[in-house]
Amino acid sequence: MKVLSRKEKTQARIASRRKDTLYYHGMVLPGMLFLAIFSYLPMMGLIMAFQDFVPAKGIFGSEFVGLKHFKYMLQLPDIGRVVRNTLIIALGKIILGMVMAIVFAILLNEIRLKFLKKSVQTIVYLPHFLSWVVLASVVINMFNIDGSVNQIFSAIGLNKVNFLGSSQWFRKLIIGTDVWKEFGYNSVIYLAAITGIDPGLHEAAAIDGASWWKRVWHVTLPGMLPIILLMAAMNLTSVLSAGFDQIFNLYSPVVYEVGDVLDTYVYRIGLVGRQYSFGTAVGLCRSAVATILLVSTNKLTKKLTNQSIF
Amino acid sequence: MINRKKAGALLLVLSLTAGLTACGGSEKGTADQSTENAENGERGTVEISIGRQTTANPKFPEGDSYEDNAYIRMVEEELDVDISDAFEADSGDDYNRQVSLALSAGSLPDMMKVATKDELTELYENELIADLTDVYNNYASDYIKSIYDSFGGRALEDVTYDGKIMALPATSSDAGPGMFWVRSDWAEEMGLKVDEDGDRCVTLDEVKNIAQAFIDADLENTGNVVGMTFDSRMTTNTSDTPFMMNAIMYAMGAYPRHWYQNEENELTYGSVTDEMKEAVALIRDWYEEGIVDPQVGTRTWDDITALVTKGQCGIIFGSWHTPDWLLNNVYALDNEAEFEPYVLVDENGKVNCTHYKATGEYLVVSAEFEYPEIAIEILNLIYDDMVNSDELLEKYPEVNTYLNTGVDGTARPFNMEVKSNTYLLDEYAQLKAALEGTGKKEDISTAEERSNYDAIMAYREGNEDVTGWCKIHSRCKGVDLLTYLVDKDLYNWISPIYPETTTTMETNWSNLQTLEVESLIKIITGASDVDTGFEEFRTAWYDQGGEMILKEIEEQIAE
Repeated sequence: MKVLSRKEKTQARIASRRKDTLYYHGMVLPGMLFLAIFSYLPMMGLIMAFQDFVPAKGIFGSEFVGLKHFKYMLQLPDIGRVVRNTLIIALGKIILGMVMAIVFAILLNEIRLKFLKKSVQTIVYLPHFLSWVVLASVVINMFNIDGSVNQIFSAIGLNKVNFLGSSQWFRKLIIGTDVWKEFGYNSVIYLAAITGIDPGLHEAAAIDGASWWKRVWHVTLPGMLPIILLMAAMNLTSVLSAGFDQIFNLYSPVVYEVGDVLDTYVYRIGLVGRQYSFGTAVGLCRSAVATILLVSTNKLTKKLTNQSIF
Repeated sequence: MINRKKAGALLLVLSLTAGLTACGGSEKGTADQSTENAENGERGTVEISIGRQTTANPKFPEGDSYEDNAYIRMVEEELDVDISDAFEADSGDDYNRQVSLALSAGSLPDMMKVATKDELTELYENELIADLTDVYNNYASDYIKSIYDSFGGRALEDVTYDGKIMALPATSSDAGPGMFWVRSDWAEEMGLKVDEDGDRCVTLDEVKNIAQAFIDADLENTGNVVGMTFDSRMTTNTSDTPFMMNAIMYAMGAYPRHWYQNEENELTYGSVTDEMKEAVALIRDWYEEGIVDPQVGTRTWDDITALVTKGQCGIIFGSWHTPDWLLNNVYALDNEAEFEPYVLVDENGKVNCTHYKATGEYLVVSAEFEYPEIAIEILNLIYDDMVNSDELLEKYPEVNTYLNTGVDGTARPFNMEVKSNTYLLDEYAQLKAALEGTGKKEDISTAEERSNYDAIMAYREGNEDVTGWCKIHSRCKGVDLLTYLVDKDLYNWISPIYPETTTTMETNWSNLQTLEVESLIKIITGASDVDTGFEEFRTAWYDQGGEMILKEIEEQIAE
């Protein structure tokens, strides 16, 4: 009896809640539809990865070949080098990018002059809104042998460096310019996290005699930690994509050894060579790795901070 | 990443839907046509849909369009057809995408041009195109047949599958070697004799000395003259592509990116030969001495064009027609600029050159189209009658006007050329005669060459127009040099094999190309040693599929 009545109560409660939340479900619906049409439906295309896809025959007419393309991918002579380049460049961008954004957010938060703060913010956001096609020519003009950087180098008596054609410099250039382009925009979310920290904590620490450094270390950073970990988890999903448009516009055969990444490699083989199935297979593998990384970092975050994305 | 995947998937969905709709449309079309045909009893007015390649500025007279212009009206009236455009797209990527889309959908316009052999093969294998063997044999005019025959069978063999002619090939005639174009106004100013003995041929040493002299002089005060530079692809499988190293390598007996039988009658890939190694070593030496651009390998095509235009580089290697579309930029900025072409000779004083692939583009007819002979009739009309019959042009004066005012060739139903292998030299001979007064302008057979004549005459009278400058350079210097090579019997022709894409090529070719470019540029820029670097490249090339591909091509030849 008792059990039953509790059940009935629960049911009644759910019914009433359903009515209240119907409204919200309605608001979610367009987003869900969008997701279904543009993200879930196209997943059907993944079937191509297991076929020898011929456009004229279509997905239903093409021959199934099992894991052929996956095996082929692992046998490619350059695959080790390409994956290594991708990891180095992507991790470099993620780590440096986050550090820069966090440091910048903390420093920016200290600026009290509203005008200065706003103008600095606007200036550092700007490059984010320019496409790499445009920025690449700026970078090339700055860093080629006759470029401004090399002119400064030779003016102060250093040797000229062919940055875009040098195995030592190319990755650094790629990571550096990407961090420069994105750190401002990425700092927005950290700024929000900082403003979310209870000012009482800062005041208490100040009264206890904590220096600015100590306050940053013991109050600001721990307060930001959940967001930092969350962002790290999200960023890690892109560890296998090192930024096609940037590298494609800057690289050349001279630096394939250090600059050829999965995206550019798949582009050359899959699209230029019209091997659609192979391209899909690589894409699928990458999504799988990204999913594993996301789930595991999310678990880790949950353990460390008791917060998680899902 | 997610975004890109989404975009890709979206594209796929869109193309599939587009395919489905296109499919539906075409089926309906054929059904209508056949009923109409049954009623008429004979051919009647046939509706044709064509995939059209277009250009941004076709120079049509007021009111004309791709679907309705002088050529189309002439074809419609002469052959009793009604032409409409299935799609119109600019040359290059846009057009190729339309073709791919039609291919993906499995539904073709009645006629269209495809730009690659792979697409043609795919069309054949999917049984989407008509067998043209009978209609070609029965309908093609003798003149058209003689054009294809001037390539010694190479033209039609290329479109023959299992003994059936599956397409009408556009011809591409030999364009000779990549010439060595030198800023002759600079040489003159410096008192430098480029070609002391006046035989229009230069040796590799002379090339080097000229480059060095230009670097030292820096006539335009740019501060950083580049001796010579090359596109990052470095070599191509056409003899004369601008900004390539082909000419230098040919002079050393290396034929990069070409398949050919060597002296021992073995099938060879030119980029892995010993001659190639020597050629690469030479360019490496030049790189170390500063004669070759220190940024070689990272320069794009546009970068190099800018260098030449700004007067930072006075030497380029390229085709006879380079002045028409590339060096014209130099003249536009500096109308003192003059170029003179020379050819590079090997140690025996011969000019090594590879024959072009005789065909490169193909006209196909849909398998569903009932009257494939119409394609041949259009071919006869445009590429035979229009060239050879004065009556036709009298009957259609507007076509004549088109020819004389330079309306773009894309206006024709098929944007392709069907010309004999020697047309370039033949037409130049007429132009030269007219210019020298031994012939008349009216005797020049093609409208293009007649308008070149006008441009050159106007320039000689001092109008300083860029067109005249271009035509003097490309014809009176470039083609004239080609004629000279034939007259003096200086050519040593190599006949490469242009294989079909083999199974191993499908999967490994992009890789091998990357390997080639990367290994060679490393040797040239000193990142790896000549001997070990080249041996490593050669071994890797054979191991990573090269050996298999050689076998597959041998099998192809045996067939």
